[in-house]
Amino acid sequence: MAPSAAPAVLLDSLGKRFGATEAVVDLSLAVPAGEVFGFLGPNGAGKSTTIRLLLGLLRPTTGRAEVFGDAADDVERAHRHLAYVPADVALWPGLTGRECLDLLAGVGPGTDTAYRDELVERFGLDPGKRARAYSTGNRQKVALVAAFATRAPLLVLDEPTSGLDPLVEREFRRCIAEAAGRGQTVFLSSHQLAEVEAVCTRVGILRAGRLVEVAGLEELRRLRRSEVTVELARPAPGLERIAGLPGVADVRWTTPLQLTLALTGPPRAVLRALGEVDVVRLDVREPSLEEIFLDYYGRAAA
Amino acid sequence: MTTRTPPRAAATARPGAPASPGTAVRRLTVRQVRRGTLVVALLCGGLTAFVAQQYEQTFSGAVGLDSLAALADNPAIRTLFGPALALDDPGGFTVWRTGTVAAVLAGIWAALAGTRVTRGEEEAGRADLLLAGRVRPATLVRTALGVLLTAGAVIGAAVVAGMLAAGTAVTGAVLFGALVGGTAMAGGALGVLAGQLVTERRSASGLAVAVLLAGLLARMVGDGVASLAWLQWLSPFGLLGRVAPYALDRAAPLLVLVVLVAVPAVLAAVLAGGRDVGSGRWRGRDRARTPSRLLRSLPGFAVHRVRRPTLTWSLGVGAYYLLIGLLATAMLDFLRDNPVFAELAADAGFARLASVEGYAASLFSLLAVPVGAYAAARIAAVAGDEAASRLTLLYSRPVGRVRWAGWEAVAVAVGTVVVAAVGGLATWAGASWVDAGLGLGGALGGALSVVPVALLCLGAALLALGWFPQAVLAVGVLPAAGGYLLLVLADSFGWPSWVRGLSPFAHLAAVPADPVDVAGLVGMLAVALVLAAAGLAGYARRDLRG
Ligand SMILES: Nc1ncnc2c1ncn2[C@@H]1O[C@H](COP(=O)(O)OP(=O)(O)OP(=O)(O)O)[C@@H](O)[C@H]1O
Ligand SMILES: [Mg+2]
Repeated sequence: MAPSAAPAVLLDSLGKRFGATEAVVDLSLAVPAGEVFGFLGPNGAGKSTTIRLLLGLLRPTTGRAEVFGDAADDVERAHRHLAYVPADVALWPGLTGRECLDLLAGVGPGTDTAYRDELVERFGLDPGKRARAYSTGNRQKVALVAAFATRAPLLVLDEPTSGLDPLVEREFRRCIAEAAGRGQTVFLSSHQLAEVEAVCTRVGILRAGRLVEVAGLEELRRLRRSEVTVELARPAPGLERIAGLPGVADVRWTTPLQLTLALTGPPRAVLRALGEVDVVRLDVREPSLEEIFLDYYGRAAA
Repeated sequence: MTTRTPPRAAATARPGAPASPGTAVRRLTVRQVRRGTLVVALLCGGLTAFVAQQYEQTFSGAVGLDSLAALADNPAIRTLFGPALALDDPGGFTVWRTGTVAAVLAGIWAALAGTRVTRGEEEAGRADLLLAGRVRPATLVRTALGVLLTAGAVIGAAVVAGMLAAGTAVTGAVLFGALVGGTAMAGGALGVLAGQLVTERRSASGLAVAVLLAGLLARMVGDGVASLAWLQWLSPFGLLGRVAPYALDRAAPLLVLVVLVAVPAVLAAVLAGGRDVGSGRWRGRDRARTPSRLLRSLPGFAVHRVRRPTLTWSLGVGAYYLLIGLLATAMLDFLRDNPVFAELAADAGFARLASVEGYAASLFSLLAVPVGAYAAARIAAVAGDEAASRLTLLYSRPVGRVRWAGWEAVAVAVGTVVVAAVGGLATWAGASWVDAGLGLGGALGGALSVVPVALLCLGAALLALGWFPQAVLAVGVLPAAGGYLLLVLADSFGWPSWVRGLSPFAHLAAVPADPVDVAGLVGMLAVALVLAAAGLAGYARRDLRG
């Protein structure tokens, strides 16, 4: 077995249909080993379904999934490489947190118990309580500790931080960074865009079961439009034609001396046009990740 | 903050995987069923040992051999109580008197445990955590099967131990234990199988229990109708008569029991692979065609919730009581010819079997058990919804707990009347078919006369809902099932009358043979109301779970 040769996650024209609902359609994606991959999309887009297909919990209608080269439905082999945190964590009400951790270590791919004890400390988890007495966030911590403590080469996390407080959330980001530092791969589905922006190197965006974009965060920003604000020293009627340039949209004159426009793609033509007039100030604002995603998600509704 | 090390450095530092993930899963499953196994084993072992021992003290040698032959030959007796064999032996008597009860108890418990550890775990999402480890769905199912079969063996061993402790023959004890334990195994396998087929735990439990009880019905028909005797081979209950512990001591039919366990077990193991985790093989529609108009008010919601269960329970009760009606004439002829058994039956809690009204009345008193169980099960469903947080949204509205639980209780109370009435109608239809001369009014009156006992169950279940929400079902069935058992034991062994008086059945007149016991009826209704009021008071003030 040479995990280095195969991608950590390989989805090959994966599809899943529930009755009349097409939850995932013809999804192909490869996540190389060592990458922190963000998996985004509006509610019901099919993120959890894709993850459950990857874990072999659901049977694909079409296509296949692989984990480090092992078929997802061969769970005894594939699950040696991964650890999973589900979106809402249900634990055995009668077991204590420690017993749950022991149980999950017993079925998991090998657990570093010293690191686990350290994680229990860092997440501020009280492992002596019975699971029925845990709050939502504490149940989530149990699953997170169990997952990180395995040091599995692939961490599959489905909205793992939806119930965590900011302190624990910060600890979570540190753990992701440490995991990445050790070369572990992370497949993270999340609605918290700040978190994705902070930890992920590449993101995929799912809409209505289809992958609409896979790109590095930088690349994504570059592909998206930036907002340009121009201030002029004196009115320049010749600049009206800027609206017709390639990649330019939403030109607005806020005053006769100030205009804003949205720019997509290389700025060469706009810069040339501006070069002929007397520009006092030029401000180029990168879109936030949130704006980018809202743009993508919004088109789902349309 | 972090320094990026080359990816390969990590793989070498990884801890080794534990050798067998199956062990962890097995330990968990054992933990989930061990308490129930212990309780059922003690109940089955204790009950059988107790009856065998009491027999020694009361009537060993009281029954003549020729009467025994007549009893064993009569189809009606066989249908209702199972084949009566070796009644002159404490072991044989115990098998006849408690065999079916113990087997039904063990089988139903195992079926419910089977759906709980498979479908229940999937429904709660806990199975996902295990299955994300190196565990196949098929392994989970095989583990559940292994643990439940072992639990069945423990229950069987408890019966063997009890019968041996009571001093009965070894062969008979082992065969009897094998039958009760085997029934538990078959029930467990059926439960696991139902968990593979159906997506909701509640429906899966219902399916498994329904199949078991259909087996009991098949046993009754097979015992009563000679040409259908082969039906006895289809259920563990029928095999009890084929094996005939303490009488014929045949071991060969146990092979059929092995098949009855193996078929559902193997089917479950096969169906476990290759399906989506979280949904059964049979998927319902994800969309309803028209929204239900009932869901616009609390009473409507209560009706909506009891509709389906009421129909299912009515069908089951109707099938049993149709058969009981059909047997009326055969039974009456037999008792006229063998007065010894009329007395024996009277001792065993079936007084006045000699007229059709008396026969119907005796069997209607049994009707209280399923109708009471129906009521308790509906309130247990309320407690289950609460534990699964399904009531949180409802109670976040301006909905008082007493108001909602009250409507639910009213709907269930009406449901008990419906289920009992269906039992009465079915008896009347069966008896009319064989011209037994049972009037419609008498049949309905007799069936409805047990409703107060069912309402006691409803009251007890509400009490538990308010004060011991973990045990609603057990507390709820106590007045009917426990009370019935108490009456039978008190009558069989001549216990003091105040002990007998604790049973609600002691206050139930033999309608339609006797007029309604108005005082008893009013008393039971009053107790039911007090229990319900105390329960609702507790429910209103306690913390909601889930
Ligand atoms: N077991 C199921 N049966 C039927 N339909 C399902 C099932 N599971 C998911 N779906 C449907 O598949 C689609 C994708 O669901 P999924 O849970 O993957 O969404 P998601 O992207 O994880 O959404 P969220 O952000 O809300 O978690 C939805 O339309 C959902 O209704
Ligand atoms: Mg999801």
